[in-house]
Amino acid sequence: MKTVIFQAISLMFILLACTPKASKKTNTITAYLEANVPHLDPIHSTSKYSSVINANIFEGLYHYHYLKRPITVQPKLADGLPQILNNGKTYIVKIKRNVHFHDDPAFPNNRGRELTAYDFIYSWKRLADPKLKALGWWVLDGLIEGLNDWRDKVRSGQANYETPVAGLTALDKYTLQIKLSRQSFQFLHYLSMPPTMVVAKEVVQKYGKEIINHPIGTGPYVLKKWQRNSEIILSKNPKYHKVLYPTIGEDQDKSKGLLKYAGQRLPLMNEVRVRIITEKQPLWLAFLKGDLDFGTIPKDNFEQVFQNNQLTKEFADKGLRIHSQKSPDVTIIAFNMEHPILGKNKSLRKALAAAIDKKTILEKFYNSRGIVAEGPIPPTIYGYDPEYKNPIQHDKTLAKQYLADAGYEGGKDLPVFNYEMANNSTWARQYGEVLKDQWAQLGVKIKLNVNTWPQFDKKIKTKKATIFDMAWMADYPDSQNFLQLFYSKNISPGPNNFNYINRKYDQIYEQAVVLPPGAERQALFKKLIDIINEDVPGVFIIHRLYRYPFHSWLENYKPYPIIYDYYQYLSVDEDKKAAHR
Amino acid sequence: MIVSSRAPTFISKDSLALICFGVICVYLVLALLSSFGVIGVDYATTRLQLSYSAPSASHWFGTDFLGRDVFARVLHGTQVAVLVGFFAASISTTLGLMLGALAGYFGGWVDDLVTWLYATLESIPYILLISAFAFSLGQGLSNLYLALGLTGWVKMCRLTRGEFLKHKNLDYVVAAEAVGASHWTRIFKHITPNVLHIAYIQYSLTFIHAIKVEVILSYLGLGVEPGTPSWGVMINDAKSELSRGVWWNLAAATLFMFVLVLAVNIFTDRMGKALDPKSRASNFEV
Repeated sequence: MKTVIFQAISLMFILLACTPKASKKTNTITAYLEANVPHLDPIHSTSKYSSVINANIFEGLYHYHYLKRPITVQPKLADGLPQILNNGKTYIVKIKRNVHFHDDPAFPNNRGRELTAYDFIYSWKRLADPKLKALGWWVLDGLIEGLNDWRDKVRSGQANYETPVAGLTALDKYTLQIKLSRQSFQFLHYLSMPPTMVVAKEVVQKYGKEIINHPIGTGPYVLKKWQRNSEIILSKNPKYHKVLYPTIGEDQDKSKGLLKYAGQRLPLMNEVRVRIITEKQPLWLAFLKGDLDFGTIPKDNFEQVFQNNQLTKEFADKGLRIHSQKSPDVTIIAFNMEHPILGKNKSLRKALAAAIDKKTILEKFYNSRGIVAEGPIPPTIYGYDPEYKNPIQHDKTLAKQYLADAGYEGGKDLPVFNYEMANNSTWARQYGEVLKDQWAQLGVKIKLNVNTWPQFDKKIKTKKATIFDMAWMADYPDSQNFLQLFYSKNISPGPNNFNYINRKYDQIYEQAVVLPPGAERQALFKKLIDIINEDVPGVFIIHRLYRYPFHSWLENYKPYPIIYDYYQYLSVDEDKKAAHR
Repeated sequence: MIVSSRAPTFISKDSLALICFGVICVYLVLALLSSFGVIGVDYATTRLQLSYSAPSASHWFGTDFLGRDVFARVLHGTQVAVLVGFFAASISTTLGLMLGALAGYFGGWVDDLVTWLYATLESIPYILLISAFAFSLGQGLSNLYLALGLTGWVKMCRLTRGEFLKHKNLDYVVAAEAVGASHWTRIFKHITPNVLHIAYIQYSLTFIHAIKVEVILSYLGLGVEPGTPSWGVMINDAKSELSRGVWWNLAAATLFMFVLVLAVNIFTDRMGKALDPKSRASNFEV
């Protein structure tokens, strides 16, 4: 009898072993972030890392179309585009009905309540609340009638969240009226940015200071797990309101399969697993192994992967794909204009600018991924002029002449300038060493200082940095976003990290920003760029071109640097992925 | 006669020790010549068009990402390594010797205090401790000497304390006391020379330990200032270069470090035997 039982059990195991294994559908996107996310609260969402997670949990009134280029604003929580009255100073926005916050104990019966216009008024007051020190406050600063006054009164204890703001009125439960203190042609872009996304009062009140760890929005995903510095898992919001995959895009999108899911409800996948990998090599290896659906190519591996403007056969055969995208950004070597020598001597700054070999930097540090910058405005941004040339081009002889004109021939009597590095990566160090060498050939000496990101940020915001490397990525696709970097009212701790003050520049800037897009505005922007390139508060180096590698099993991947809510559009061909693994 | 003074005689009869001593001298000479700008002059000159050139007649160890000559950089790395080894070992050996002498000789609350101090330091994992010191002091060679010196004295202190505990009651010390020698005379004139052989050995061990830790710290980005050639920085750079077949940066730095560490290790080992009366009797003809 024992033998029979033993044989039966053995046979069962053999049969089980021989049964074809059903492929387990994970329905999961595996993504990555290259930096830690310190908090998940839209009002503090100013880095691209926190913005990506926030924009998939929270939503704003508007967002950017996933496929159209140049990128265009379209409604998200708004029910259509706004009605604009009073010469562009009043916006009437209808809010979508039947949109609910994620389920959470903060709400009665743990069921997320319906979104109303009052939630936006509360959320924007929260953004303005001086006690919260919101990093994203600059978005609405000085823009909405009465909001700055309310902020001042809250600071002095004369107002609270019940105090009305003249420019923010809920005409009914689903209609929001916004009055601006001035015309703003960027306002819809502001309403598409993470800081203006909506939160629920009940959630803020329940969690208090812990709100940064309890993101409850209306978005396509809810936070399932957050293991600091390691992993974030988002799961599909089962009550997500009706948002459909776009049915139109660019001309070639259909042939690329980007319209395969046109008209389908979002999000397409049940879960997003976001791994936090700060080192480029482990990230690259995880991507090659198939642990990530998309990745990034380290500079030292680029030539293995991409040659003659296409994937090498080795990687093409592995099923890799590349999406190329001109990035709306500019990298800059910035000078602190408050430095007693550097800030006061234009010829010295011109000498430093002429000594930098941008073409070689582009080739070696960016694998020729990008173009040399002639000014602050990058391609893909309205106002970019491909014909424009910076009056100061790389020329060692000219650089020496400028230095002599500055009164420091051969670098004589010049102090050693501090160059601040934002991190301690090999890339940042080598970049600093190249600048050090190129300026040393001129006779100018610099000392490379390594900082952590908070140290670097603090030095810049307190005007302690003399020379530093920075990059500015568009917050919205308009030249004004780049030209405001040189407006005197924005000096540090604002975005004018150069601490550049020029009254003539300010006057033209103030004239230009209230003009609608058109030739007149463009002519004024050109004058502003000429002034900056003449004064050289910084040296514009590169406009980057991103090559986004992804696996063939990942569908609908069309990243753009300022479209953050893209997880919901992605899909994975599970069979292809299983075959690779 | 103090045991350590006889060591050179024994070492001179040990060929392996002599070879290692020669290697160490070569490194010292290379460090001196590079610091005076006689060799490896263009270690900082970038030639981006020569980026990642393989080893050749013009560049024996190839070039790095910025087109700098790897041989010139590895020579300058020798200077950094020797300086770090010398200063870190000097600081930690002196500190350990002083504290150990005071604790062992005086005992009581002085001993309690020193023992508590080194027991506390010893309870912290070394890499965490040194990283914390290096991070607080900031980057730079002098800060690196301090960080390594201030964290590396514990073993020296413990050994010296033990020796002083033993020696302070020996006849020659009691006799010195009887003829009126002060505490300081007994510590520095009588006992210290008799425990110096431990300091020699410990100095050598700390020397190579400091070189290794400098490499680790530079690899972690906590070591020398950017632009200063260091074996650790070269190895750090190599981690991404290897995948594209650039092996020479790693090979050069590793080879130079390996030979120096091996030579100092063997030499220290032979020194230990030469200074130890028991092993000396069996290994050398007296």
